[in-house]
Amino acid sequence: MVGTLAACGGSGGGNGGTGDNGGGASDQSWILGTTETVTAMDPAGSYDFGSWEMQYNIFEQLMRVPAGQSEPVPDAAKSCSYDDPQTITCKLRPGLKFSNGDKLTSSDVKYSFQRNIEIADPNGSSVLLGSITDSSDANHPKLGDGAIETPDDTTVIFHLNKPDTTFMKILTSATSSIVDEDVFPADKLLADSKVIGSGPYKLAQYKAGEQAVLTANPNYSGPRTPKTKQVFVQYFSDPAPLKTAIDSGQIDIAWRTLSPTDLADLEKNDNVSVDRGQGSEFRYWVWQFGTKVGKQKAIRQAVANIIDRDAIAKNAYDGTVKPTYSIVPPGFSGHIPAFKTKYGAQPDVAAAKQLLKDAHIKTPISITLGYTPTHYGPNTVDEANELAGQLNDTGLFKAQVQDAEWEQYQTLYKKGAYDLYILGWYPDFLDADNYLSPFLRDGGFYGNNYSNPTVNKLLDKELGETDKAAREKIIEQLQKIVAEDVPLIPSWNGQNVAVAGKDMSGVEQTLDPTYIFRIWTISKNG
Amino acid sequence: MFKTLTSPIRNTSGMARWILLAGLIITAAFVIMAIFAPWIAPYGFAQNSSDGMRFPKMGPPSAAHPLGTNDQFFDILSRVIWGARTEVTVVVLSVLFAVSVGMPLGLLSGFLGGWADRLMVFVMDVLYSFPSLLLAIVFAFLLRGPLGGGTFAAALALTAIYIPQYFRVVRSTTASAREATYVEAARAIGARNGTIMGRYLFGNVIQSVPVIGTLNAADAISTLAALGFIGLGIQPTDAAEWGYDLSRALDDAQSGIWWTTLFPGLAIVLLVTGLTLVGEGLNETVNPTLRKRRFRKVRMPANEPTSALVEGEV
Amino acid sequence: MSADRGSLPRYIVQRILLVIPMIWLALTIVFLLLRVAPGDPVSAAVGGKLDAAALASRRHSLGLDRPLIVQYWDYIKDVATFNFGQTISDNRPIIDVIRDNGGATLTLTLGAFLFALVFGIPLGLLAGRYRDTAADAVIRVFGVVSYAAPIFWTGLLAVILIAPTGWPTYDIASPVTKFEVHPVTHILLVDAALSGNADAFWDVLQHHVLPCLTLGLLLSGVFIRLVRVNLLHSLQGDYVEAARARGIAERHVIRRHAFRNALVPVITIIGLQVALTMSGAVLTERTFNWPGLGNQLVKYLVARDYSAVQGLVTFFAIVVVIVSVFIDILNAVIDPRVRY
Repeated sequence: MVGTLAACGGSGGGNGGTGDNGGGASDQSWILGTTETVTAMDPAGSYDFGSWEMQYNIFEQLMRVPAGQSEPVPDAAKSCSYDDPQTITCKLRPGLKFSNGDKLTSSDVKYSFQRNIEIADPNGSSVLLGSITDSSDANHPKLGDGAIETPDDTTVIFHLNKPDTTFMKILTSATSSIVDEDVFPADKLLADSKVIGSGPYKLAQYKAGEQAVLTANPNYSGPRTPKTKQVFVQYFSDPAPLKTAIDSGQIDIAWRTLSPTDLADLEKNDNVSVDRGQGSEFRYWVWQFGTKVGKQKAIRQAVANIIDRDAIAKNAYDGTVKPTYSIVPPGFSGHIPAFKTKYGAQPDVAAAKQLLKDAHIKTPISITLGYTPTHYGPNTVDEANELAGQLNDTGLFKAQVQDAEWEQYQTLYKKGAYDLYILGWYPDFLDADNYLSPFLRDGGFYGNNYSNPTVNKLLDKELGETDKAAREKIIEQLQKIVAEDVPLIPSWNGQNVAVAGKDMSGVEQTLDPTYIFRIWTISKNG
Repeated sequence: MFKTLTSPIRNTSGMARWILLAGLIITAAFVIMAIFAPWIAPYGFAQNSSDGMRFPKMGPPSAAHPLGTNDQFFDILSRVIWGARTEVTVVVLSVLFAVSVGMPLGLLSGFLGGWADRLMVFVMDVLYSFPSLLLAIVFAFLLRGPLGGGTFAAALALTAIYIPQYFRVVRSTTASAREATYVEAARAIGARNGTIMGRYLFGNVIQSVPVIGTLNAADAISTLAALGFIGLGIQPTDAAEWGYDLSRALDDAQSGIWWTTLFPGLAIVLLVTGLTLVGEGLNETVNPTLRKRRFRKVRMPANEPTSALVEGEV
Repeated sequence: MSADRGSLPRYIVQRILLVIPMIWLALTIVFLLLRVAPGDPVSAAVGGKLDAAALASRRHSLGLDRPLIVQYWDYIKDVATFNFGQTISDNRPIIDVIRDNGGATLTLTLGAFLFALVFGIPLGLLAGRYRDTAADAVIRVFGVVSYAAPIFWTGLLAVILIAPTGWPTYDIASPVTKFEVHPVTHILLVDAALSGNADAFWDVLQHHVLPCLTLGLLLSGVFIRLVRVNLLHSLQGDYVEAARARGIAERHVIRRHAFRNALVPVITIIGLQVALTMSGAVLTERTFNWPGLGNQLVKYLVARDYSAVQGLVTFFAIVVVIVSVFIDILNAVIDPRVRY
């Protein structure tokens, strides 16, 4: 294969020359392998990793999050800032151009948001733009009247319909990608292969489910200068061939998602390095307040006392995940390990026993744990069995596990078929609120019937607070309430892992909680 | 009774007998494992510790765990033995269901002919035209709800695939046999439809059933494994299933951990092979045309012309 | 048995006319099965992210909250006008999916069949000719085992063994080849040949070897066994007896008469194997990350993408129905007893 690739690479090099400037970009193309899938290249039609990953490379957003940081910096904008908690003013960089040569102006920016909201694609992410959406007609959402103002070609002013300190972060997400108003239709998605943007790369070829070819965008003038002229992204339907491919050097980087066993084995391969960065994936157990067991605080707290997160991480995931003690992951401003403070780092069976005794609850308590076998990967069942084992070993519980395919699972957990059920979460944007509002307000998106007026009030307050320190205080307070009320039990945070050939550089730096694989920063040597 | 049971073996010779015997022994070994699993298996199928001691994770074969342990801390020997129970149950149930629905329909359809026949052929052909794995996947989805993710649901899901196969084969055998000389003869001497179907056609058609039966049994195991591979099979805490274990072990195999994938895989290959050998052996005994003719030369006997051409051996 | 009953043209016309209601029935079954199965494209994609109201509004915009009968009517109407629509989960026209991914499945299955024919038939004939010898025993056991081994298991074994040698073990071509070969027929092997790029053609060919071999091995197991049994059958046939009685040498009897007759049913076998091959292809494609229809089907099924699954299954059904009708007709031409 090495021989073949070299041979093809030779002719490919000639072809690669047809495109671009690349200004100092390397001719040495490389291949990224992933099991993520692309829903749509068009930013208005996607709400998933695979699509967003491509969009971060093809488009510019007003703001971006640089590798390893958490605060937004300007991207297509020269500057963006809050005038007050409901107003953001952005100035564009002068001379912006799309890869087809069209000028990028404030009108394109407004158009991008407008069409995203109005198309309201069922696979889209326009829900994130609620602060500039007029949803008085639920079935035909519109861009709010006067929500975006464009006084001149390089100025965009957002008027939010409520105080929203997370909106600056939303401006960094792929849903805020800026599209060309002369190319993208206003009322429907653009075909994947026709998508163009103003980002560091342009999409030279796209074969759905097979591969995407990115070539450096000659019109790109921003700070994200591409290091490689041509990059191939290969899509894998299963982790097993992805593992073989990286193991045997048929691809240069494997990013998302290899199994714990695969990673352990690849550590032994001298030709590749396994790079781990901090992740923001969150796995947690939700209490259903609608069941006899779930509605009793003493039981919820007792389980929080008993759960052995280190054992879960070690036994079910080979140590590839990090135990977590709060609803807000570490690294997010405002994070405190609230569960560790309240329940200790180590399991405390005696405390659990005492809690149940004080509440006059007869033991052993029959409890049903729910999991779904495929949606969150094959190791989910191991975590469920591990936790059930931990509960049973105390003699306080009679735990049994039940499973359902993802589809049924969703209805079942909402209906109260399980007392405690496992779910996973990836953030839409890097802000602590993304771990709070969706989870805690009136039963959360998962409908666990938890409702606490204090929490709701604090959420509103935190969203309207532009002072960083004051906001962190509120977020800390919320985490403490979660540890006390236990609407859910945090289990672990995932890592952002990539396996790369030894001749690749720049991989480790991009592995951060944003899960943006910044292709432009990576190059292959030799 | 014993004589009737062993007659297929006694009726064969040479390799046919060995094949049948080998198949029977392999299959019997698995059936014994299936029936006596609780007594033979050292541990439960979802047991990851004993006497409060955790089993090793992916431990290589050792005295305590002769076939090693897998990544779920389960004892592989126990999983293989309990797995036999699951597979045998699923196979027996699914083949039984499929035969009892597919064969009578095929017999009826082939014998009756006409519109009834066409309609049935039509429906069955449509069912048959679905890729069987897809059908199994969809049925597995459907049946998991009401029946849970266990053995019975899996068996029923597989049944749906095999009915059309029995129907097809039985029907076409019936349709051909209907025109055969001996059936014409029976009709000519005034035999009733029921008699013809029951005595002549059934006897003829039943011969092809063990062959498809074992083929399907084999196929059922493969399909079950395939469901496990795609992640829609029986869950590890519901029952031990080789396909599931195999799919979990695929990653290990690439990492040089051979015992987690070898033993469940071997179990699948062995049981499928055993079943197929039984089927082929049976086929040769039940189906006289496949038997080797001992007597090639035509002898002219004194009184009994019918025994002039003796097929097979006595 | 009326006089015109066995008329061949009439039989053929009947069979072909039946194709339409057959496909209609297939569509209906798929439609119902998918709707009865729990879940929908919306909950599959974002059920773990959005609250109930947001999910409902997405369902509404996809028209999934309309009465079932209305959805069914629209669906049948679209198909009747050859409008297969778009996938829900990634907005691809279904026709494009079939066109872009069908080629890979086609070359995979043809390659596997070719292997099975070239490999399985001679072995089956050999085993039947020399029945009860050691050769027969070895071939039969091989046939049984190659069918018994789960395809993803043998596939994985092959990958583990071959990958260190540098031979390609996944996908239909290297990325560069895919990028360079311009789609004309959408069958990559043919396109690569047409492009005149020898490197590209060799690359695609190399990629075919392992998957075709794996799937072909499974099929050849079936072929070996059935060809062998058929040979045994025909060796006992009246015409063979007659040939023997005429004093023709056994060698000639076998070659001229028995072999030929043993191979006629192979046509039927091929027909019967089409559906099996589709299933085998799903697993082979997943094992080797092959960009074929089987792989797509599983992906869309998991995403509960109604229109994609409906479209693909319809396509599968059409292929299988047409092949089976073709085989039936062929059989009717060969063996008049089959007609009715």
